[in-house]
Amino acid sequence: MTTKNKSPKTVSAKHTAKAVANGASRNGRPAKSPAVRVNQYGIPDWRLEQPEFEVREVSDGPEVHYEIKGKLNTPVPPIRESKYLTQDQHLELYRWMVMNRRMEVALENLYKQSKVVGGVYFGLGQEACSCASAYALGPDDWFAPMIRNQGAQLVRGFHSRDIMMQYMAKAGSPTKGKDGTSHYGDIEKRHMVSPISMLGDLLPVMAGVSLGARLQGKELACLTWIGDGGQSTGVSYEGINFAAVRKLGLVLIIESNLWAYSTPTEYQVNVKDLANRAIGYGMPGVIMDGTDACQVYDATYEAVERAHRGEGPTLIEAKLMRMKGHAIHDAAAYVPKEMHEFWRKRDCIDRFQKYLLEKKWLAPAQDKEMIAAIEKEIEAEREFAENSPMPEGHTAAEGVFCEDGCHDIKPKYGMPQKARRSEGKLKETEAAIHFK
Amino acid sequence: MAQATYLEAIRQGLWEEMESDPTVFCIGEDIGVYGGAFKVTDGFIHHFGPQRVIDTPIAESAIVGAAFGAALTGMRPVAEFQFMDFIGCAFNQIVNMVAKSHYRWGAPAPLVLRGPCGGGVHGGPFHSQNPEMHFVHTPGMKVVAPATPSDAKGLIKSAIRDNNPVLFLEHKFLYRRIKEDVPEKDYAVPIGKARVHREGRDLSIITYAAMVHTAQEAAGILAQDGIEVEILDLRTLCPLDRQAITQAVKKTNKVILLHEDTKTGGLAGELAAIINEEAFDDLDGPIVRITALDTPVPFSPPLEHFFLPKVEDVVREARKLHAY
Repeated sequence: MTTKNKSPKTVSAKHTAKAVANGASRNGRPAKSPAVRVNQYGIPDWRLEQPEFEVREVSDGPEVHYEIKGKLNTPVPPIRESKYLTQDQHLELYRWMVMNRRMEVALENLYKQSKVVGGVYFGLGQEACSCASAYALGPDDWFAPMIRNQGAQLVRGFHSRDIMMQYMAKAGSPTKGKDGTSHYGDIEKRHMVSPISMLGDLLPVMAGVSLGARLQGKELACLTWIGDGGQSTGVSYEGINFAAVRKLGLVLIIESNLWAYSTPTEYQVNVKDLANRAIGYGMPGVIMDGTDACQVYDATYEAVERAHRGEGPTLIEAKLMRMKGHAIHDAAAYVPKEMHEFWRKRDCIDRFQKYLLEKKWLAPAQDKEMIAAIEKEIEAEREFAENSPMPEGHTAAEGVFCEDGCHDIKPKYGMPQKARRSEGKLKETEAAIHFK
Repeated sequence: MAQATYLEAIRQGLWEEMESDPTVFCIGEDIGVYGGAFKVTDGFIHHFGPQRVIDTPIAESAIVGAAFGAALTGMRPVAEFQFMDFIGCAFNQIVNMVAKSHYRWGAPAPLVLRGPCGGGVHGGPFHSQNPEMHFVHTPGMKVVAPATPSDAKGLIKSAIRDNNPVLFLEHKFLYRRIKEDVPEKDYAVPIGKARVHREGRDLSIITYAAMVHTAQEAAGILAQDGIEVEILDLRTLCPLDRQAITQAVKKTNKVILLHEDTKTGGLAGELAAIINEEAFDDLDGPIVRITALDTPVPFSPPLEHFFLPKVEDVVREARKLHAY
């Protein structure tokens, strides 16, 4: 991090509490951005613009294509001032976002050189949503990324080489070549639950991580993401509802990125704001601009704090657009050009960079230096990944079961209290059901 | 030793494990204040508290997912399916999330999925099924199906102590029908080991769960004809005890494969293949399969009776094979 010429403002804990209570920010600056709006259902909407457009199927002669209607020439909104990020944290977060994007460019190049097994998935345009949310977690908190949240993996301590080797199916990848893409995890140090390809199944799992920790006396925030497409699955409902009923520390970000593979949101759900569904679950919901790193951080930070207090889950809807196809094979030709253009102007990194430059928290020379350092690091990571060996075929037979002491299973946060309430012994029961 | 039913034996095993290991907890539908549809966890919530006996919404994927998540933090959850038929609702969570986790990313999933399966109680198509083969065919899952109270208690303990996901199939027909002396001291029955239920020299019946008792009754009738049947109770369906299966064939040279599950794709096919691979030269007759029909489990008693393998089916087929 090249921030040696910028010293962070130190704010005492006492000062912080007072400042927050007064409606000022943790970083000591007054929040200059407009107050948060509330939508017609009472859901806070932190955005500084509310884009109005709709995508519909249109028959045009023998063909059907998607057409967008609405206001597409509105000005690009500013970044909302963060209530919580310090100046240094802004810069560190910016660095992660740039790292996220540059690493994905490297992945694309590896694919083009036929060095990748299978496809490559991108989070282009969603770097703020991946990085700033993961950045808001505490050191013990857990997360479970989806395919577009590769930035979150970097923020939480994985290296570009881990992700590259996953795509290249190398022996040294986190899954030793057993699985690819973001399908890996770490329950020991980085507390990442591996995603699976089926969408929504991580939601009850993250609720369960929170439950397991609570039984050990620890309140965790368990962050995961899902798309406007993925949340259509039944298991999504089951997981969110269970977390709400038991007030578990699920922090769910619905990335409304407007395209579920090739299907627009309009054909996925019949609501404008998915955050409204929080009302139906009986939990807080919030809408934020997923292309504004400060909004993503602040909204996630508040949800994380709520989870740490044991108050239950939060549903955060991030509005943004997936700026590439579903995977590298998909040119996304079905996306109307003017829609792509609208969101391109709202690029999360460009806007954050401009914001930091204008604030003079980042000097142009320092920016260049930082980007060059990132490129150098990624190049070294790529070289390491490329030169590492493929797995030996016979290792395919290993590891189906946990056996021969390969893992020592013990409670991560301490032995749960037995909470034995009676001296009672087991008594015989009588059948109640008619299946006899 | 005191007498216990199959159901009481499971209760004892579960209770004792919760007493000795604070990381064990129960999660499922109506298992708390109500004590479970079949009363397996009756009284548990009063003794262990609502933190460790957790009622859930009617959401099987949430139950399995939450159990898995808790297991990732080092807990040993025991999740109840009110009826094993409902395991289909959690199929993806089990097959894709849980069973593959150790292989894919090195995360052990020490959880037990337990509940009542099986027919003979007029439960109809959705309260009588035997879902074992979906999971025997899922690498990463262990599948256990005890036939006696002693094995039920010893195997639920092993299942809880195992570092892998274990599907623990309780045959509801046996819950309160069978009773035997069950040891009171702590013991565990190893997963992956079959048990000779009855010694015999003339032919072997390889079976499991409720059908062990069907085979036993048939063996009594056949003994009157001087046909001595060996009964091998598999106890664990995955991983199979290949050695015990092979030994049974080598001893009697004739074998009947008996199960309550339907025929096509049932365990008997796999057992026949193992015998073919390991003991083909020891066979003195064709491998015989006795199973339920390839239909859903029908509701009306005469239909269900026709559907299920019966004592007379075993006696008839055993006589035929003996004469071969």
